[in-house]
Formats: sequence, structure tokens, C-alpha cells
Amino acid sequence: MIRIGIPRALLYYQYYPMWKTFFEELGAEVVVSPPTTQVMLASGSSRVVADTCLPVKVFLGHILALVGKCDYIFVPAIRSVESKVYNCSKFLGLPDLTRAVIPESPPILDIDIDINKGKRNLYQAIYQLGRHLTWYPLRVRRASQAAWQAHLNYHQLMSSRNLTPPQVIERISGTAEAEANSSYLISAQATIAVIGHPYLLYDEHVNHRLIHRLEQAHNRVLTPEMLSTEELQSAIARLVGRAYWTYEEEVVGAGAHYLQSGADGVIGIIAFGCGPDSVMMDVVRQQASRLKATPFMSLTLEEHTAEAGIVTRLEAFLDMIHRRKRSQVKTCV
Amino acid sequence: MEAYLGIDVGSVTTKLAVLDEYDKLITNLYLLTEGKPIEMVQQGLTQIKQQLPEDVNICGVATTGSARYLAGVIVGADLVKNEITSHAVATLQYLPEVQTIIEIGGQDSKIIIVRDGVVTDFGMNTVCAAGTGSFLDHQALRLNVSIEEFSRRALASDTPVRIAGRCTVFAESDMIHKQQMGHRTEDILYGLCQALVRNYFNNVGLGKDIKPPVVFQGGVAFNQAIVKALQEELNAEVIVPPHHEIMGAIGAALLVHEEILNSDNGSKFKGFGVSEIKYYTSSFECEACPNLCEIAQLSLNGRVLARWGGRCDRWERGSSS
Repeated sequence: MIRIGIPRALLYYQYYPMWKTFFEELGAEVVVSPPTTQVMLASGSSRVVADTCLPVKVFLGHILALVGKCDYIFVPAIRSVESKVYNCSKFLGLPDLTRAVIPESPPILDIDIDINKGKRNLYQAIYQLGRHLTWYPLRVRRASQAAWQAHLNYHQLMSSRNLTPPQVIERISGTAEAEANSSYLISAQATIAVIGHPYLLYDEHVNHRLIHRLEQAHNRVLTPEMLSTEELQSAIARLVGRAYWTYEEEVVGAGAHYLQSGADGVIGIIAFGCGPDSVMMDVVRQQASRLKATPFMSLTLEEHTAEAGIVTRLEAFLDMIHRRKRSQVKTCV
Repeated sequence: MEAYLGIDVGSVTTKLAVLDEYDKLITNLYLLTEGKPIEMVQQGLTQIKQQLPEDVNICGVATTGSARYLAGVIVGADLVKNEITSHAVATLQYLPEVQTIIEIGGQDSKIIIVRDGVVTDFGMNTVCAAGTGSFLDHQALRLNVSIEEFSRRALASDTPVRIAGRCTVFAESDMIHKQQMGHRTEDILYGLCQALVRNYFNNVGLGKDIKPPVVFQGGVAFNQAIVKALQEELNAEVIVPPHHEIMGAIGAALLVHEEILNSDNGSKFKGFGVSEIKYYTSSFECEACPNLCEIAQLSLNGRVLARWGGRCDRWERGSSS
């Protein structure tokens, strides 16, 4: 059986169930790299110039972790998934970058996704990808339909049941405890929304277990995936008109939504060296200071982030929210 | 007499403050940490005990500052609190109508925005120390001016020179250049103060809604030239509280007082005797996973009291058993 490696980084959190279904329907075995570790991050960053952004360094670390464990590695170039909305250049060049800096990698399976070029182009791209595994166009077609269904189910599960991508992926793989742990919710002191790209929010190594820390401190945590596409898009429409970047929803959309409803505080997570994030998170920050209703804090994750910096800011942010809530209760009484 | 002790162990200085049951300051202490937080906490306890009246009974202890967890284990703290909350609470007690708190310490600087007595926003310096006390210390040393003399001479400046404050490295080359061109040391010193203030507002204060009354605290508030530069930049009066350098410790003491009043348990304070105990610190590299965390541990008579530095709960859990 052909083994296809999928790095647990970047767009993994958005599309893994889709990709997995596609390749498995075509008879391949899917191998996922393990969760990020310090060694993986260091090995990834040793391959590129220091200025490269943190998420790409992490991604390359995952590619290196897959070398020798699979026959192919799947690295799509996702240019655009919406009309006239484009992705960051790092995503466009990902397959080429990977080939250039990791020559020992198994062959890279890539696919160019660009909605602007029309449906026909998209179907052709999918057939070309499927060709590596089968000669029958009909099998590719069935596999892509099943994959699309898996993708819709995945996002529906997250938004309808307030689950995070790792929770749903664990469920799909059958390794999870059936329900999301909700015992802490009863004693939850505050609801904190964490916004940003999934590859930052759910990579516990990169974010120093941010969500875990928030839950440990008795807070209910909301993430962008828990909102429906309609909620995200209408929030973007209200704030900036129309999106400029692909994946702007999880930053600007989720930020704008949670600043207005549902959260006692919003924490924005950005990666050091990320161009689009630095602009998008600032839009959210400006909105927060205009509304003055919900406290907002942004945290920048770096390669060498000392845990102390994150812990102190988190503690202070939570104190601020708890004390604020308490003073509001006092005023009401 | 009931009393509450706050200990603020910062990177450069260690501060202790004792408040009575009416939250009035009984006595305080300001020491240099000198890179030895454990010894300084112990020494601080010994010294402050001598300053206290005989009948004082410590009913609660809180620690704050960057070594707050370490100090908390040593003294048996009832509360370990971050420095932003501690500073805000202390300032609010001093000036309830405060709207902006500027705190510049040895290694970090903060801004806290307060509205109607509640913190609504805060910021801390992110990557570099260019807007902090150690920047001034370093440059004063280079110009061979003691930090005490710094303030007096900088205030004597009449035509301050413009120095790039974005980064200590650039500031230094700028200063050398100005110095070699024959500018007076006084003017360079005050230019340095203005550079620090500019850097503070561009970095920490970026996007913050700064409104008067503005309170300025932390060790750097001793420097009258910085106070003047801040006032010029803000075009507003800047208030320096009488105990500006120990506000973090005062805040911690206020918070632990509140905490003890709301709980049924007594204090976990280990007593002033802890200054006699010989604590032992060591570190090792955890090999359980590829993360290779550096774990630091504090032990007493071969028994491990606490461990830090892991990316998972593995060692933290071990310490409580």
C-alpha cells in the first residue's frame, strides 16, 4: 500500500479529514507527523534563513519528521479558495520551497488550488493528483466527493458542538473520549475567545499550551471554528467590507464577532514574522479600542518565546477580566 | 498587630512592604537582587523583621515580580500574583481616580490603562530592553556618570541632543558620535531620557488610550529627568507616588489581605525563620520526550520542594507529592 505523509502543520487543521478521506478512498495509507517538538522546530528552522516565519519553520520540521516514513508527502499550494481573495505567498510556494530546502524528502505530491481559474481547472487539478494512485477518473471523482462530504461534516461538527479541530480529528480517528470534556464549564469563571490561525491555536508546542492554561484557570474557551461560516462572513462584512486574505475569517471575522458578543475577553495569537497577521490583528485591535466593550490582548509567538512572558500576560489579562466582572456585579447589587 | 507582607522580586531589585490591617504601610525595604533571588528574599526577611515592631503578626504573604513562583515557595506565600495586577491595585489605593499607570522597572516596562477603577487594557515591552532601567544604567556606566548623578546632570541640560532610542546598540553609537562632536554630557544625558520616553510610547504605549491622571512608578521614577521628559511628551502632569519603587510589593500585600479576608484558612507563611534555611537549586534536562526541557528545581535537605521549566505537567505534578 502506498503511504502518503501529511505534515501536522499549517493547513492540516483546516483540511485533514478531507485529505485523509481522499487518499484512503483511493487505497492509500495516510501517515501524519507527530505533534510538534522542540527538535522538530529546530530541525525545520535550520533549513531556512532566519527571517522565515515561524509557521513555515514548524511545517518544514514536520516534513523532516516524515522523511523515511512514507512514499510521498502531500504539500498542496492553496492559492485561493474564494473568488479574488488570495493566500499569503508562503502558501503559494510551499511545494517548491519544500523541494528546494529538503532535497532528501520523498516525492512531493502537490496540487494547485485556485478558484479564480474556474471549476474546470479545479477538477483537472484533482484528477492529476488522483492519477498518482489510480488510472480511473471515476474513482477519483468518487473519492473527491467523499472528501468534500468529510470536510463539510468536519466543519459542521466543530461549529454545532463547540469542538476544536484536534477534538474532532481525534473523534474521526476513533482515539478520543466521546464527548468534549465539559466538566470545567460548570465552574467556568469567564468565557475567553482565542482567535488566530488554527496552526497557531492548536499547536501546543508553539503556543505553550495556551488553551490548556486557560481551561486550567477555569475559563471556557471559544475558538474561530466554533462559529459558522455565515457568522464569520457577516462579521467581516460589518468590519472591513470584504476579505482580502484567505483565512482572514479566523482572525478578523472571529475577532469582530467575539468582540461584540459571546466573550468576556478576546486573545489574538499571531506568529512573529507573519505579514498578513500583523495587519489583520491590528484591524481587530483597532475595533477593540473603538468598541471599548470587550478587553483584547494580542500575543506574538516566537521561536524562542520564554514561557514567562506568555504566562505573565495571560495571568494579568485573566485578572483584569475577573476583577472587571466582579466590579460589575458589585455595581448591580 | 495584624500585618500583611508583599514581596516583589524583580530582575534588578527585591522589594518588601508590610501593611497593617488598615492597609497602612508599616515598613518597607528595597534591595538589589544581584542575580540571587533566593538569598535576597531571605536577607530581606531578616532585615524587615528587625524593622518591625515586636507585636506584629504576619497574617498573609504574597509574592509578585518575575521570580514570584520561586519566592512564593520559599516564604510559603498565600498568593502569587503577576506584577501588572499588583501594580494596578496599589496605584488604585493611592489614587482611585487614576486613568493611566506607567511603570518602568529594571528589565521591563508596562502601561496599565484604568477606567472607573478597573483595569481595561495593559501592555508590556515585548522584545527588547531599550525602554527600561537597564538601558539607562548601561549608558550611564558608559558615560561614567553614577545613576544618582544622572538625574541631576540631565536636568541641567538646556539644549538636549537627539538620540535614536529604538535600540540600545544604535543609541550607543549615536551617543558616541554626539560625544565626539563635542556636545555636553548634560545634553547627551537628557537626550537619552527623551529617547527612552519616546521608545516607551512607540513600543509599550502604542495604541493605548493615555489619559490623565497619569501615575509614574517603578525604580526609574527616582530619575527626575525621566519624569520631566514624560511630562513634556504627554503634555500633562505626571504624578510620582511617595513609595513608587515598592508599589508592586504594596499591591501584593493589599491583594493577600483581600484574599485572606475572603477565605477561612490561615496563612501558609513559613515565618521569618526561613532566612536561616539553606535552599539548594539545581537543574537537569528532561529526556522523556524530544522537547528536552530544562527543569530547574529547588530542594531542601534532599527533598524537592518545587520544579519549573517543563512544557508539560510531568515535573510540576511530581513536586506536589
